[in-house]
Amino acid sequence: MKLLVCIKQVPDMESKFKIDADGVWYDRSDLAWRMNEYDEFAVEQAVQVKEATGADLTVLCIGPEQVKETMKKALAMGCDRGVHIADDQSHRRDPYQIASLIAAFAGDKGFDLIFTGMQSQDRGSGQVGVMAAELLGLPAVTTIVGFALAGDKITVKRELEGGVKATVEATLPALVTCQLGLNTPRYPTLPNIMKAKKKELLAVAAADLSPADALLQTVKLTFPEKKGGGVFLEGDVGEVADRLIRILKEKTSVLA
Amino acid sequence: MQTLPKGGSFLFETTAPRNIFTPEDFDDEHKLIAETVTHFLAEYVFSRMEEIDAKKEGLMRELLVEAGKLGLLGADIPEQYDGTETDEICTTIIAEKVGATGSFAIAHGGHTGIGNLPIVYFGNEAQKAAYLPAIVTADKISAYALTEPGSGSDALSATSKATLSTDGKHYILNGSKTFISNAGIADIFIVYAKIDGDKFSAFIVDGHSEGLTTGAEEHKMGLKGSSTRSVFFDNVNVPVENLLYEAGKGHVVAFNILNIGRHKIAANAVGAAKLALDESARYANERKQFKVSIARFGLIKEKLAEMAIRTFAAESAVYRTGGLLNDMMHSLDRSGPDGGRITAKGIEEYALECSMEKVFASEAEAFVVDEGVQIHGGYGYIAEYPIERLYRDARVRRIFEGTNEINRNLISTTLIRRAAKRALPLMDAVSSVRSRLTTGIPVRKDAGDLVQATKDAFLFTLGIATDTFGDELLKQQEILGRLADMALLAYAMESAWCRAQKAVMNGQSGAKHKENMANAFIYTTVEKVILAAKEALANLAAGDELVKMQANVAMIFQYTPVDIIALRREIAGEISEAGKYIA
Repeated sequence: MKLLVCIKQVPDMESKFKIDADGVWYDRSDLAWRMNEYDEFAVEQAVQVKEATGADLTVLCIGPEQVKETMKKALAMGCDRGVHIADDQSHRRDPYQIASLIAAFAGDKGFDLIFTGMQSQDRGSGQVGVMAAELLGLPAVTTIVGFALAGDKITVKRELEGGVKATVEATLPALVTCQLGLNTPRYPTLPNIMKAKKKELLAVAAADLSPADALLQTVKLTFPEKKGGGVFLEGDVGEVADRLIRILKEKTSVLA
Repeated sequence: MQTLPKGGSFLFETTAPRNIFTPEDFDDEHKLIAETVTHFLAEYVFSRMEEIDAKKEGLMRELLVEAGKLGLLGADIPEQYDGTETDEICTTIIAEKVGATGSFAIAHGGHTGIGNLPIVYFGNEAQKAAYLPAIVTADKISAYALTEPGSGSDALSATSKATLSTDGKHYILNGSKTFISNAGIADIFIVYAKIDGDKFSAFIVDGHSEGLTTGAEEHKMGLKGSSTRSVFFDNVNVPVENLLYEAGKGHVVAFNILNIGRHKIAANAVGAAKLALDESARYANERKQFKVSIARFGLIKEKLAEMAIRTFAAESAVYRTGGLLNDMMHSLDRSGPDGGRITAKGIEEYALECSMEKVFASEAEAFVVDEGVQIHGGYGYIAEYPIERLYRDARVRRIFEGTNEINRNLISTTLIRRAAKRALPLMDAVSSVRSRLTTGIPVRKDAGDLVQATKDAFLFTLGIATDTFGDELLKQQEILGRLADMALLAYAMESAWCRAQKAVMNGQSGAKHKENMANAFIYTTVEKVILAAKEALANLAAGDELVKMQANVAMIFQYTPVDIIALRREIAGEISEAGKYIA
C-alpha cells in the first residue's frame, strides 16, 4: 500500500503579524515556523497506518527551502521519504493551484490513501484536500475525527455541526482531511530525528508540475477593525449596579 | 576547515564572528530536538512540579523512564550501546531546556552526565555493554559519588578505601560519601576511593550491593525534588572488573568529567535564567500599579533589560563553548576502543572555557533570579510563583561542580601553567601590550574595541603579577580571582559581541536587538574589569610605580560611555513586547 500525506509550514500563531508591502498577505520575515496543526494529525494517522500495515509513506510539502525543516519533523515522526515541491511563491497561490500541484505530482503514483489537514492555520480555506481529491478523481472525506482501515475500506467519523458525528465508509483509493480530536500527534524521539537526516528528500520544481491558473485572487488583507473595548466597573457593589443601570439606559436599548 | 583554537587563546587572538557557534546556527535537527524537549518538559515535568518537589515516591524514576523513551538519556552514548550519540550542540540544548526544571535537571544531569560519562569515556567494552543500554532507558539510574564529608573542593584527599580481597576477585570498599545526587534512587554509583589508601581510583558500584546504605534525605534550600543523601560503604564487595579505567587514575576520570559537567551546569543556568526572565516579563506586563503595568516603569525596565543582557551573554558563551567542544570532538578519531579517553583528553583542551562559562552563567543566573523576585514584589516571596523556586534552585549552581572560587583559581592557574610550559604564548602577548602602551593605545571606539581593552588589561595585570610574585603567584588567591574575572568577562563579552556581529553580517532578524544587548553588556561590564585591574595593581605595587600603572590602565580604557539608560529602555521594550526572553 502507498500512502501520501500533504503538509504545510505555517507561522507560529502566537507571532505578531504584519501585513506585507503588497497588502495581500502577511509579512513573512521575523516569524517562527512550524507544521500546520491539522497536518500533524494527518501525519500521525498516516504513520499509524504505516505501522499497522507496513505501507510506504511519502510526505509532500510545497514551499520555499525553509519548509524542509518541517518536512524533517514529518520524517522523524515516521514518514519514509519527503517530496519537496520547491516554490518560493506558494504563499501567493490560491487553493486550486496548490491542489493542482499535489494532483500533478500524485497523479501517476498510485497512492491508495492521501491524508491532509482539514485546513491550514494561516489561509484556512479548507479547500486544498477536497480539490486535490476531485482532480485525482478520488472520494474525499473531510474533517475526520475517527479512522479505521480494514482491507480496502476505510470507516471514518466526521465531525458535523453541533457536535453531531457521522460515520462514513469509502473504498480505497481515497483522500481524508484530518481534524483536531483524531489522535494525539507524537513528538519525534531523538534517535528518529537523527535517522530522519538520512531519509530521502526529493525536490521537484513547482514549475515542472505546470500549476494551473488561479481561480481566486486575494484583493486585500486587513486586520479586523478595532471595536470598542470592554468597560470595567469597580468599586462598591451598590454603586457599580447603579452605574451599570445608567449605562444600560443611556447606551443600549436593553431597558428601553 | 579552520584549525581549532587552543583553549584560552582567545585572550590574545582575535576571534572572527563567523568562527564562533551561536544559537542562530542551529540546524533543523537541533531545532527539532529543542521542540521535542520543550514538549516533553511541558507535558511531564512542569505539569507536576509540586509533586516532584514533594519527592513523590517513584515519580522521578517514572519521569526519567519517559525521558528515556524519547531518547533524552542517550544523547552522549554511542549507537552500539543503544544511544543516539548526537553532537555537543544537541546535548547543550537538552541541558539548557532541562535546566529550567530545577530538581529534574539534577536527576537528569546526575544520570546522563556525571553518572554516565565516566563509563562512556573511560569504561571498557564489557562495562559499556553492561551499563550503558540500561542508562539509555533508565532501567538503571546512575549517581556520582565523589564528595566526602571532609573532602569537597579538595577531592583528592578522599579517605574512602578499596582493598583487594585475598582471592583477588573483589575490591572491598569502606568509607562514606556525602551530598550525592540521585542517591535515594540510584542503581549504579560511580565511586571514588583509594586502593591501599593511596591510589585514587574510580569504581562502578552496584547500588544494591550488600553493605551499601544511604542516609536520610537532606533538607535542602532548593532542588527539593532531587534526592540528595549520604552513601555509606561497609565492606562492600566490588568485583575487580568494575574498576573504571586504571588503578590510581581516578583523578583523570574525575577531572575530565567535571569539564563537561561544568559546561552542562552553565547550560542549565541559562535555561533557568530564561524561565525566570519569561516569568518576570509576563508578570511585569500583567501587574498594574498606579493604573499602568509595572513594565512601563523605568526601574523595572532596567531590571528586565539587564536580566536579558546577562542571559544573552551567558547563552552566547555557552553555545560558543558548545561549538568548541563539538568541533574538537569532530576533529578526533574516536572510532577505536580508546575513543572515550581520546574524547576526554580533547575536551580537556577547553577546561578553561568550561570553567569560565560555569562561573559566568551561574552568576548571571543568580542576578536574574534575584531581580526576578524583586519584579514580583511581595508575590515573589510567596511559594506559589515559580520565581520563588527558581531563586532557591539557583543558589547551589555557584557551589557544585567546583565552587566558583575553585573555578576562578583553576582558570588563572591553568593559564599561568600553560604559559609557563609555552603551551600558550601568553607572555609574548604581555610583552606586546607593554610595547603598545609605550607607543600609545588609541581611544576605544566601539564595544568590540572594549573587548580588546579587557584582554589588554588582563595581560597587563598578569604581567605585573608574574613580575611581582613569580612562582608564588599561584598562592595569591585574591590576585588569581581578579585575573580570572577579567579573563572570563572577556570571554563572555567577546561571545556576546561576536554573536551580535554575526547576526548583523548575516542580516538576521533581531540583529539590532542582539547588538543592543552586546553593547549594553560590554559598556557596563568594562567598569568591573577596570575595578578588578585597579584593585589587583594596588596590591601589587605602590607609590610612583602604582601611579604609572594606573595611568596605563587609564590608557587601556580610553573610551566615551554610551547612553546605557536609553539602550536598556530599548532592550526592555523588546522583552516586554514579546513577554519573554528573546534574542
